Amino acid sequence: MKKFLVLAAILGFVAFGCAERKAVVPTQPQEMQQPQTKAPEESTKAKEKITEQERAKVESKDIPSKFEEISGMFKDIYFDYDRYDVREDAKQTLKVVADHLRKNTAQKVLIEGHCDERGTSEYNLGLGDKRAKSAKDFLVSLGVPSSRIETISYGKEKPVCSEHTEDCWAKNRRGHFVILKGK
Amino acid sequence: MKKSFTIQDSRFKGVKWLSSRVVPTQRLNYLTAPCVLFLLLTACCLLLSAAAEAKVYIDITSPAARKLPIAVSEFGGTFGKEISDIIKDDLDFTGIFLCLDRNAFMEAPSQPFNPKNWTVIGAEAVVKGMVSGARNLVATVSLYDALEGREILRKEYQTEASLLRPLAHTIANDIYRQMTGESGIFRTRVAYVARKGGEDSIYLADWDGHRAMSLGIKGNVILSPHWSKDGSRLLYSSERNRQWGIYLLDFKKTSETKVFSSKGTNIAGDFFPHPDEFIFSSSMSGSQDLYTYRIPASKLNRLTSSRGIEVSPTLSPDGGQISFISDRDGTPQLFIMSRDGSNARRLTFNGPYNTSPSWSPRGDKIVFSGRQGGKNQIFAINPDGSGITQLTDRGNNEDPSFSPDGRYIVFSSDRDGEKAVFIMRVNGEAQKRITPKGLRVFGPRWSPN
Repeated sequence: MKKFLVLAAILGFVAFGCAERKAVVPTQPQEMQQPQTKAPEESTKAKEKITEQERAKVESKDIPSKFEEISGMFKDIYFDYDRYDVREDAKQTLKVVADHLRKNTAQKVLIEGHCDERGTSEYNLGLGDKRAKSAKDFLVSLGVPSSRIETISYGKEKPVCSEHTEDCWAKNRRGHFVILKGK
Repeated sequence: MKKSFTIQDSRFKGVKWLSSRVVPTQRLNYLTAPCVLFLLLTACCLLLSAAAEAKVYIDITSPAARKLPIAVSEFGGTFGKEISDIIKDDLDFTGIFLCLDRNAFMEAPSQPFNPKNWTVIGAEAVVKGMVSGARNLVATVSLYDALEGREILRKEYQTEASLLRPLAHTIANDIYRQMTGESGIFRTRVAYVARKGGEDSIYLADWDGHRAMSLGIKGNVILSPHWSKDGSRLLYSSERNRQWGIYLLDFKKTSETKVFSSKGTNIAGDFFPHPDEFIFSSSMSGSQDLYTYRIPASKLNRLTSSRGIEVSPTLSPDGGQISFISDRDGTPQLFIMSRDGSNARRLTFNGPYNTSPSWSPRGDKIVFSGRQGGKNQIFAINPDGSGITQLTDRGNNEDPSFSPDGRYIVFSSDRDGEKAVFIMRVNGEAQKRITPKGLRVFGPRWSPN
């Protein structure tokens, strides 16, 4: 309330000043003498035309793959929650993959890293990336040249099981192997 | 969980009586004054002139809780009801206005404005309007100050009937600006990703979810899009043909270009104020690290090099600070650092799993998704690490980001079963689903304009 009184006092002073200035210099612009009527007068004339830019659809281009993909030749390997180290029970599958690549020297392998649905898309993509890379490192340790191993992360975006249970989550925390053959 | 938000709410400001009490008095003509006093008073008059034009009815930066009672009359003419209903919904969502029930109105829409009809039901502002035309609409709208009994805004709007919703949102923006002195967000939009039949596509909808349409952008997997500051571009990651590329959709050129790709996972982040520069995370050098990239020069700059996962970078409004997620301490947590990657410090210490930060355009808050009782919830935190507040408590809630005025948050939630996009006020109030049933969507981002 005190603030209001102070403001009112200042205003009274200003009103006083405006009138006085008008008396001394009558050629000053009109709007300075009557500031309070300016806004409504102007707004009476306001007009606006509402338009919107037509949005043309943009088609994403598909780039054809250089490789023929063969999925399902190997079992998936599984990971612990929020971990990316290769588990003991995954090592047998990785040895089978390494053997296959040794025998089929024209082929490459793509390792997909996947996560369960808990957590957010981007962090899970980082985690899936680490899972695929640790599987890759294990294959390299078995003698597979790293140039023949590709990796990709799908994070939590491509689950094989959609229930919200620990059983299902365990199935989704996986590494999946795809053989790439030149076309 | 305690809700302790007190950042903005409604309140009358004391400048309201400025224009009504200032009446230059001729009685004072005989007075003369020294030159210095004259200059001072001229300055006062100029200030007063500015104040009268920018009269603010509600100070929305004040923490006090009073809502401004407003009566939005049903408009007359074609689509009058539809248009006035949209305006009412817009104003209502802000939480700044108390939209009075039309059943209580004493004055029929066709009657001329009489302040006594409105002050008696407690209305302090009144909106009346008339729409004519069927294919080409002309809406004439008046906003009245019921207490002073005068018109404070009159405007004529023209458009075609197919743009009825943008028309109504434009009127709501004008009312909002007149009452608060700030820009409304009623013509902004939300971009999000929809997942159907193993394929993702980017959709664009009005902020209230209406007029949703696919932009034609499709990919095996698409991640949350990011807007350029001028609203003319979207940046997003898409996995196509076994590679994570960062793509740019230019609305002006209606074209999509791949701006960055490499081996590994490339995830687009925010644009810097400069429209050609953005931040992103990539595992091109091993584990996920943060980089900046300038498009025409292809200039790549590495900001972090840790063995852990560093993702989800978000920029302060001036681009000088970066908040991001790192698991360098064992679990994913929010960190903050300078633009050049220096001075990194941890921001969150509560909970085992905090991700997806997004910085308010006002600069005062960062929202993120944090694990609470096995579910992901939306939280807000101050950039200094103080004032952590939980904003949601049903289902899993992710991907939060702010409206351009920093007053609302858009996010995804599975509280109804399938993933959908929701909006809410910055204090967690008025949570509202804006995407339809049957469409699985995520990664929403509010347009800057």
